Amino acid sequence: MKKTWWKILAVAILIYAILGALLFDAPRLNILNETIRNLHFHVTMWFGMIILLTASMVLAIRYLRTGNQKFDLYSVELANVGVLFSILGLVTGAVWANYAWGEPWSGDPKQNGAAVCLLIYLAYFVLRNSINDEQQRGRIGGIYNIFAFAALIPLLFILPRMTDSLHPGNGGNPGFNAYDMDSRLRIVFYPAVIGWTLLGLWMASLRIRMRKVQKQLED
Amino acid sequence: MKKVLTLLALFFCLNMVSGQDKIEITADDYENTTVEMADTMRSNGKIYVVVAVVMVVFVGLIVYMIQTERKITRIEKEVFKEKDNS
Amino acid sequence: MIFTLIQKEFILEWRQRYAINGIILYLASTVFICYMSFNLKLGLVDPIIWNALFWVIILFTAVNAVAKSFLQESYGRTLYYFSLVKPESFIISKTIYYSGLLLLMSILGFLFYAFVMGNPVQDKFMYLLVLCLGSIGLSSTLTLTSAIASKASNSSSLMAVLSFPIIIPLLLVLIKASKNAMDGLDRSVYTDQLLTLVAINALIMGFSYLLFPYLWRS
Repeated sequence: MKKTWWKILAVAILIYAILGALLFDAPRLNILNETIRNLHFHVTMWFGMIILLTASMVLAIRYLRTGNQKFDLYSVELANVGVLFSILGLVTGAVWANYAWGEPWSGDPKQNGAAVCLLIYLAYFVLRNSINDEQQRGRIGGIYNIFAFAALIPLLFILPRMTDSLHPGNGGNPGFNAYDMDSRLRIVFYPAVIGWTLLGLWMASLRIRMRKVQKQLED
Repeated sequence: MKKVLTLLALFFCLNMVSGQDKIEITADDYENTTVEMADTMRSNGKIYVVVAVVMVVFVGLIVYMIQTERKITRIEKEVFKEKDNS
Repeated sequence: MIFTLIQKEFILEWRQRYAINGIILYLASTVFICYMSFNLKLGLVDPIIWNALFWVIILFTAVNAVAKSFLQESYGRTLYYFSLVKPESFIISKTIYYSGLLLLMSILGFLFYAFVMGNPVQDKFMYLLVLCLGSIGLSSTLTLTSAIASKASNSSSLMAVLSFPIIIPLLLVLIKASKNAMDGLDRSVYTDQLLTLVAINALIMGFSYLLFPYLWRS
């Protein structure tokens, strides 16, 4: 993780994504107007969060399998960055919603899902902090991490499909059509997801190294 | 392995719930001049001011990240060397 | 093996009848508080509120009832079980037992709730079915969270913090499905919701079955 090439890659991709998001032709849609460009900033936070939290869960599984403290550290810090992304996603979403849908919190199922997700991971940190023994903390935290992720699956992927949503991609809301992304948006959107995720990994790696140093100093 | 497969199967069961229709964005949407966009900013080049500002902020953040990284690398070296000596 | 463990839970419960009586009383007084604070009978209470309120009451009762499943076990007794039984059978027996207990509680709760607040439910069989699925789902989620919380300090407040966000998806589907049953919609309209409920239950149970052995070891 200490290699530099992927960090340079992340920065390059992000520069491309920001330029592309601001300058490329965007579809002219009613109500959305120029805010369609938020897609590359707001929605990417959401995707990045899911990727980071999934990675955190996978590492929690590895920790439970092997008992290697290293994986626990990785898992926590990834969850930490994931939470940062989810907060950013919620806040940017609220700003966008204020202008596109008329109010910052419109009770949209995806918005509520994001809030619940945030609650779950905050509970995860509370749980970890209330256990003193390091081995116990890793094990129990890991178990909760996996269990919470399992509970999130229906919330994130199934429930939004069953209900009407203001978000694109699901629900038949007549006042706001559900648009699908086209290829011209995708060539910016997918790189942006990768870029933001890599940036998140970079942040996590910095924190992991910091924690390792801290631990070394304590010993 | 069996357990994992079972869980995956369950996950796909959940996915069976029906999805809804999407509306494609077509080429017409790019030409639809009835929808207001920030065209004036583009025509007089002011959009580049915004781009420049965003870029400065982004680069500033990245430089800060790089410096933090360097600092951590230095501290790592110090701490782990100390450990080896003692 | 599982059967013996369930029997043991039952005997323990019978010896501490005051605990279960306490839960029943808790349920009854919560229902009564809701009745008093709304100060209204049905017809004035919106059916949506009627339904949501009922599920909130059940949720709180469930948390209180299931919280003790692991919190009550003393350290010595846990060690004793540890040497005797497999963790898988232990969690299965606990889940089954508490599903039964919770089902009993929610039916009692429903009867009392309908008694004081009026009963607008049209499709009673389907409502009961949703209640049944709900009790199973709630108890399996709460059993594992109570096992997790029992390992940490200040466990009783932690229990609520850990379980509530996890339960929300389940609760959303429950409320939606039970609302449909309440309105007496055609059953085919919301079978997919019932299927989703079954799937969520299976998912949660599967995960607690897989994860509990790791928790047990510590």
